[in-house]
This record gives sequence, structure tokens and C-alpha cells, in this order.
Amino acid sequence: MAQEVLAPLAGNILNVLVEPGAKVQEDDELLVIEALKMENLVYSPYSGTVKEIRVKKGDKVDEDAVLLVIE
Amino acid sequence: MRPYFEKMPGFGKELKENRIARTQESRAKLEALEAQIAAARKAKEGVGQPADAINKRGSFTVWQRLEALVEPGTWQPLHSLYNPQDNEEGTTNVVDGLGKISGRWAVIIGFDNKVLAGAWIAGQSENILRVTNLARRLHIPLVWLVNCSGVKLPDQEKFYADRRGGGTPFYRHAELEQEGVPIIAGIYGTNPAGGGYQAISPTILLAQKDANMAVGGAGIVSGMSPRGGFDVAGLEELIAKTRDIKERPPGSATTHFDETGFLTRLYDDEKGVLDGIREYMRAIPAYDPMFFRVAEPAEPRLPARDLYHLLPFNQKEGYVFDDILARLVDASEHMEFRPGYGPEVYTGLVKMDGMLLGVIGNRQGLLPKGYPDYGNYPGIGGKLYRQGLIKMNEFVTQCGRDRVPVIWFQDTTGIDVGDAAEKAELLGLGQSLIYSIQQTDVPMMLVVLRKGSAAAHYIMGGPTANRHNAFTLGTAATEIYVMHGETAAVATYSRRAIKEKDSGKPLEPIAQKMNEMAQKYYDTSRPAYCARYGFVDEIVDLKALRGYLKAFAGAVYQNPQSICPRHQMLLPRLIKG
Repeated sequence: MAQEVLAPLAGNILNVLVEPGAKVQEDDELLVIEALKMENLVYSPYSGTVKEIRVKKGDKVDEDAVLLVIE
Repeated sequence: MRPYFEKMPGFGKELKENRIARTQESRAKLEALEAQIAAARKAKEGVGQPADAINKRGSFTVWQRLEALVEPGTWQPLHSLYNPQDNEEGTTNVVDGLGKISGRWAVIIGFDNKVLAGAWIAGQSENILRVTNLARRLHIPLVWLVNCSGVKLPDQEKFYADRRGGGTPFYRHAELEQEGVPIIAGIYGTNPAGGGYQAISPTILLAQKDANMAVGGAGIVSGMSPRGGFDVAGLEELIAKTRDIKERPPGSATTHFDETGFLTRLYDDEKGVLDGIREYMRAIPAYDPMFFRVAEPAEPRLPARDLYHLLPFNQKEGYVFDDILARLVDASEHMEFRPGYGPEVYTGLVKMDGMLLGVIGNRQGLLPKGYPDYGNYPGIGGKLYRQGLIKMNEFVTQCGRDRVPVIWFQDTTGIDVGDAAEKAELLGLGQSLIYSIQQTDVPMMLVVLRKGSAAAHYIMGGPTANRHNAFTLGTAATEIYVMHGETAAVATYSRRAIKEKDSGKPLEPIAQKMNEMAQKYYDTSRPAYCARYGFVDEIVDLKALRGYLKAFAGAVYQNPQSICPRHQMLLPRLIKG
């Protein structure tokens, strides 16, 4: 089942740490959002395979924007 | 209470391969800075005369004395880079740390006899006062290796007088003795004037036979110039007097053993004095560690080398504090206090070498949505909010009740600000934490993992907690300042920038000043600076941190001034519910 990973807060995508097709475990590091003067790691809430990445480095995202999809 | 402590819940996650790969650069930066600190420490050990020159005169250096005296593997140096008055010698001329002698922990300090024969120099009394406070807070003996030529006369105005000048340590020695903390002194070399009081003020005096201690040394016994100035004839008289008195300096060890009897023991050689210190250390009161152990000692399940991949050198990057703590405590086990409350702060009980300690530390990264509950903005770790402040108040209060010593870990940007934060009582809760710490009367120590900043550096068991904070450690990632340099530059120059803009003046000069200010903040907050000016008592390699934490646990449980029976403790029950 596909699960969306949402932005926990608004900010800039500083780094994407996985690629499509990567197998991830729960709590693996997925990407970094720069906000509130900090580089905030976003961890995977699920185990599975990265099906789709909807953001790239430098993008601005709003809170709850879909960052990537894990299946 | 065995079911509570023998096997606590495990915590801390295994390090993942992608994190190891991603953090190689951060690791390299941490290790490079640790190497710089080690090189600075090594250089400081080498100041003054070469060891060979001292040895040819039949003496050991202070380092050789420490090597022979302290049990291998137990020396935890402190104040290695401390030089707050920027002395040209690069040192305060005393060497100190925690170490074991005869199986017991002691605070150990000695004059560096390679430098001006161990003279008093600027900043030294502050160093000694830190050390006497440490012995008092840990309630363990202070061991002195006295070898002090007295005042460095050309600089006397910098340290002789004042409330915390060269004579203050003698009062501190008396205070320690009043509180039942013994001071054992090994006495070597020539110790006139200030050196004489360094030698006479401890509790037990053990001297090498060629040592002396005196109210005044040969240099001043020959007196002031009777003519009110200096000329050649006067100098001829002075030379004759000095030659005579140099051969018979006042206050020989024989005088103070046979005549005054001040010296407890007299030894033929250097090693005899150290044997005497060991013998007296065996005679001091000290519990066997098993008395206070709540479980068998165990190394952490997760390795210390992981710390270099878990603590980011980049100050803006988040991390999982619990994963760091799990690499430092016995068996990587803990009992967390109120885990669902105040998520920006960790509070919990851990075991260190089998003994129970409380831990409080800042958590990092994004906090759960809806927190802080009083503000319409996201919460972020490193900052303190209402629940975290309340939780720390509760935890230290219970640690005081249960007589559990506390280790603080700081990586904090400060207490939340703004009108919502004021309405949430954060100003009052911060000061309440200071009050709570003050009333606990249990020893504490602090590790500034990365940032120590704003009032949070004070209220989270910082060195400003003079009567509780035994010592403070920094790491290669430590930065200590009232606020980040860029924030300070904005606070200082933003209004002026508006004025310049409105009057049509160029903004480049202000931008340059702001950059200069930010750079100054950076330069004056780095680990070596923090160590040199005493913001921390030592910068410690991440892999060496646990050694200090074990020393702290061993020292505070060696001869504590008060005890709570483990079966009468409340904290474990509060955690269990």
C-alpha cells in the first residue's frame, strides 16, 4: 500500500537522502528541511520502497506537502 | 529494588549505514578539532625547562610525579588549557584533575616545577579555587604536589591581592578541613612565602628531605636596601649576604620535622613521598563501590565510536539525543521520567559503573505537532518550553529527595521567547529551575555537547550553579555564547541599518560590521577559547566522555554526605507509575 510522507513544517528542501527504488526502514533518514534556522531531518514513518520523490533540493514546501511516497 | 535497577529498559538505536556514509565529513571535523586540542594540551605539558634538566637536579617533574602517583587509566585531566590571564607562559602553572590513588578517588593538583620553579602567576588562584570547590562538591580528598617558588615578582599586581587572589586558597583549605575534606600534601623543592603557605595549609604534610617551607625565602631575608636605593657598594653587601643565606635557606625540612614537627613524615627520595600519599589515601574514609551499586557495572551495549556519527559538527543539524546517551551509560539502559511530557527535554535514571545517576538533556529536531501547546508555531528541540521547564524542575527536585547525583547535557539555543511564552510563565519557570537545583544539594556535572546559550546555559546546571556544578566538560562541537553571532549582529545593528537607509547612506559598512561581529562571536565561543577562559573545565574527546562520567559517579558515591536508601526512593516508583 502506498503511503505518503508529509512535510512536518514549512521550509526549504536542503537535501534528499534517498533515491526512487531505495528500500527504507522505519526511522531511516529521508531528507532534510531547512526551517527555523535549523536543518531538520525527516525520518521515514514506514518501512518499504521509495516509490516516488515529489521534491528536489532547493524546493520550498508548505507544511503537510507530500514529500515522497513509500510503498 | 532489584527489579527496578538490575535490568532497566534498553534504549538507543543501532547506527545505520547510510548515516555513517553521510556523516564522514562531520566525523572528520570532530576528530580534527580533537587533534588540535590534544596538540595544544601536549604543547602546554612541554612548557618551561626540559624534563631532563629537572631530572639532572635530582627531581621529578610534576608530570612524572602524577604518572607515578595516579593509578593507570584513572587520570581525568581538568583545566589543561586554562589560562584566563593570557600568561606568556601559556599556563596557570598548576596541573590538576581527578584520579585514583590507592583505589580511592581524589582531586589532585600540583605546581608545574618546570616553569619558574612552580611560581604563583596570574590566573592560578582562580584555577586553585575551581579545584578546591571541586573537592568540596565531590567530598573527596584534595591531594597537593607542592613545589612552589612563591610569587612571580614582576607580575605580582595581577594576582597577589584581591578577594580571589593568591591567598584565598589558604582559606579554602581551611574551609575544606572544617567540612571534613582532608588535604594531603607531598612537598618538594623550595617553598618560600606563598609557597610556604601552600605547604603548611594542608592537613597532612609529607616532605622530601631536601624540601623547605618558610614564611620568607632567601631572597627577602637579605632585606630591603638600607640606603633607600641601590648602588654598587650596596650590591656588594647584598651579594655577600645572599651567598651565605643561599647555602642555609630558612625553613629546611629538617627544621620542620625535628624542631617544629609541622611535617608529618620526612622521606629520603621523591618516591617515598608518593608512597606516603598512597598510605594516607588508604587511611581516608571511602565506601566500597559495591555499597552503592544498584547493579553490576556494564559497558554500553552500543559503542562510543558511533558518537562521531551521531553528534553533528554542523550546529544547525538535528540529532537524536537518546542515541548519544545510550552510548555513554551502562548496558545502554535507562528509566525515562515522564517520556510523554515536555518532549524537548530528556529526563531519566541511568547506571554509571553500576551506580545510579539522573540525566537531563536537550532533545533536538522537530517536536510533535501541537507542541508547545501555548503557541501557534512549531516547537523545535534545543529550545525550552513550558512543559520541559516544569519537567526539569520536578526531576531535579526528586533527585534531591532521592540523593541521586545529576549529569546535565546541554545543546540549547535558549528558552522560548515572545508574548505567548511570557504568558506561559517561562521567565518564572526558568528561575524556578535555578531554585530547584539550589535546594537539591546533590553534586552535578555538565557536558556542553554543542551549544550552551542564553539563560538556558545558566538554568540547566551550568557552571553558574557554583555550589552544585562540580565541573563542566565541552566537546569538539561546543560553542558557548549569549546568542549566536548572527543573531547578536541583527540585534545590534538592525535599527542603525534603518537609519542609514532612510538617510540615504550606503549599507556596506554596516554589513561589514555585522560580519565582523558574527566572526568575533564565532572566534570567542570555540572549544579552545572556552577551555582557555574557563567556560568549561576541559574539552574532552567524545570517545573519552564516559571515563569522566564514571569518575564523577565513583567520586560522588565515594563518601557522600547524605544517603537515601534505595528502597525508599520515589523516582523509580514515579517512573513505574
